[in-house]
This record gives sequence, structure tokens and C-alpha cells, in this order.
Amino acid sequence: MENVRLTVSDFIAVTNQTLEYAYPSVEVEGEVSSFKVNQGKFVFFDIKDAGGSVGCFMTVWQLRVPIEDGMKVIVTATPKLTQWGKFSLTVKAVRPSGEGAIKKSFEILKAKLETEGIFDEGRKRTLPTIPTYVAVISSTQAAGYADFIKILDDRWGGLKVDVAHVQVQGIDAPDQMIRALNYLNGREELPEVIVIIRGGGSADDLSAFNDEELVRAIAASRVPTLVGVGHEVDESLADLAADVRASTPSNAAQILVPDRYEIIRAVRYQVRSLLPRVENAIEQQSQLVRTSLADMLTRTDEHIDHELERLSGIQNVLAQLNPRTVLARGYALVRGVAKVGQVIEVETNQTIIKAEVQHVERK
Amino acid sequence: MSKENKSIQDKITELSQLVSWFDSDDFKLETAIDKFKEAETLAETIEKDLKALKNDIQIVKQKFDSEG
Repeated sequence: MENVRLTVSDFIAVTNQTLEYAYPSVEVEGEVSSFKVNQGKFVFFDIKDAGGSVGCFMTVWQLRVPIEDGMKVIVTATPKLTQWGKFSLTVKAVRPSGEGAIKKSFEILKAKLETEGIFDEGRKRTLPTIPTYVAVISSTQAAGYADFIKILDDRWGGLKVDVAHVQVQGIDAPDQMIRALNYLNGREELPEVIVIIRGGGSADDLSAFNDEELVRAIAASRVPTLVGVGHEVDESLADLAADVRASTPSNAAQILVPDRYEIIRAVRYQVRSLLPRVENAIEQQSQLVRTSLADMLTRTDEHIDHELERLSGIQNVLAQLNPRTVLARGYALVRGVAKVGQVIEVETNQTIIKAEVQHVERK
Repeated sequence: MSKENKSIQDKITELSQLVSWFDSDDFKLETAIDKFKEAETLAETIEKDLKALKNDIQIVKQKFDSEG
């Protein structure tokens, strides 16, 4: 290129071509300063460290996480010489760097979305008790996905599961997940639940789940969402926007379907609990029969006693009417014809006397 | 709900109804043993069906790495 004479425009074009060839995409880490948004569309800021500073440009639509002056960030950008001769980075994506910046950015976006009601409990929908068709958004290579499928298969079966394979970390992850969400929400046959899962990782690894557009897409999903990202201690904005939050991918599987072995245990218990009920019913019936029998016997005894008592009364009357009883009281029984000269028989208690009638007269 | 799953749901509902019969006014000792045997058989079928269920997992062909 020695002694090559170029127009200014050509020089700028050649320089940009060279830069593009050398740095098609570069990640630069530094601290944000002079952050400003022009006309609600264009974002300008400088990124600097102790040794230097470089200007950055991007659109507001590309700015997926909140940033502010003093925040440490990583920009993914293409270096460019502008037509005014100013060198800058055309930024494709920016993400906070370091625990403090990630936390700060998380809190700013969380507060903003909270104000809009994105995380309101009233918006949350319940998941079907036993779904039959679910969709999963995850990386099929991720450990979290394998855990989810294992637990799902152990716990339940007969499910139709469509898996949308996407990146779950890195600059492209949020857009891929959004596309998958849109695709699944636009299908003719809608799944009953969309499950978004990813295993554990560093705060930077999980930062895709704090992407504003992704969080909004989850909240806007027609199909109820279940999000299980990271470990139990991790909290992402995607979790908060989901209809149901799982602490891990395994927990998502536990929430999604019942445990078939628990159902088997419950079914066995239900049947076992019937036998005592039958035995109890038999015992109650037996008791009823025993009581009735005893009652019958008591009534029969009472009837017999009553009749015996009545018989005894009759016997007493009969005893009084017995001629022997009368004789015993000193009376005598006279047999024969009451006519003078006739022999009659006189029976007393102790003797029988023959006697002749000497005199008869009417009383 | 798949046919197989639906049938398990139906069987579980049927079993619950059978169990409820034992606590209802319709309970009769004469038919209780038959109902118990019915419940026992139903429970065994549910257990067998549940253990045999497999998930159908498909990776969707659609790619999401770029627009369209």
C-alpha cells in the first residue's frame, strides 16, 4: 500500500474493510462513561479503562440489558471508522461484566419490569395437572436438559414432548429462545406448557435469562410457561416472568408431571383401605343380628312368664273349686235320693258314711 | 391427552368412584365383595398401565439460530 493515493472516501472504505477482515467481531471489556440515548433510538457511550477510551454506538433495540455510567461491561462490536474520521465501535451486544455490574443491571431491569407489572402474581396461570403435550426450550447438549428428561421419564409417561434446541448461553441465546417461543406459540397444535430450562453456571453464563426481550416474550407467551434455570439459589428475570418458577431443571420435571409411583402407592392404599370397611360392615351386620336375636329371646321369655303367671292364676281358681278342698274345709258331699227310707252316701274329708233318710222337708 | 393416558385417568376416576361407593348410602354388604374385587383388579391394571407408559420426545426440525 506504499505510495498508494486514495480519496478520503476510499481510504475510509479500505480502512473499514481492513478492520472488518481483522476484527469481524471483537469483545471489549471496560467501564461505561458518557452514556446517552439520542432521539430515543441511538445509544452512545464510551468504554474505557485506565489506559484509554473508545466511543461506542448502537441502537436502543440492541441494548437488551440496562447499563449506566461506571458500570463494567463487555461489548461485542465491529470497529469502524466513520465518514467523519472518527473511530468507534459499532456495538451488536452489550452485557454487564463482573458480579457487581451484573447485579446492578439485574436490579435496574427488575425494578423497571416490576413497575410494568410483568412479574405480577395476578398474571400467573396454573399448569395442567397432568399435561399430555409439552414443549421444551433448551440446549439438548446441556446437563440440565438431560436431568430434566431423566426425571420426566422416571416420573411419568405418555407425554408428547417437542424439544426446541437452542443456545442457552452467549450473545445469541436470548434471540434463539425468543424465536423458539414464537415458533411454539404459533403452532397449529399448541403445547399445554412451554418449559424453558438450563443447568447451573456462572452469573455471566446465566445472563441470557435476564435479557429484557426474552423476559417480555416469556411474559407474553400464549402458552403457560415453566422456567427452571440454574441452581436453587439462582434467580433470573425469566424465572420471575414465568407462570411457574422451578428452582432447577429437575425441579421443573417434578412440577410438570406427577410421580407415577406415588399414584401407584395411592391406588394401592385406596384398595387396601376398603377391606377394613367391608370387615366393619360385616361386624355391624353381625352385631345387628346378635342384638335382634337377643331381643327376640327376651321377648319370648317375657311372653312365657306372662302365660305362666296367667296359668298359675287359673290353677289357683281351679284348686279352690276342687271338691276335696271343700271337704277339707269340713263340708260333706251327699249322694243318693232325698226320700224317706232311702240310703244315701255321705262323704267327708276322712270318711264315707251310709245313712238312711228319716225326714225330708222343703226349706 | 393421549388415548393411553386418558384411559388411565378414566380408570383412576372409576377407582375413586368405586371407593366412594363403600362410604355411600348405596353400600350393600351383598355386593361389597364383588366391588372390592373389581377395585383390586382396576388398581392392578392402573399400576401396570402406569409402569408401561413411555414419553415420546422429538427434537423439532425448525432451526432458531437465525431469523426465518
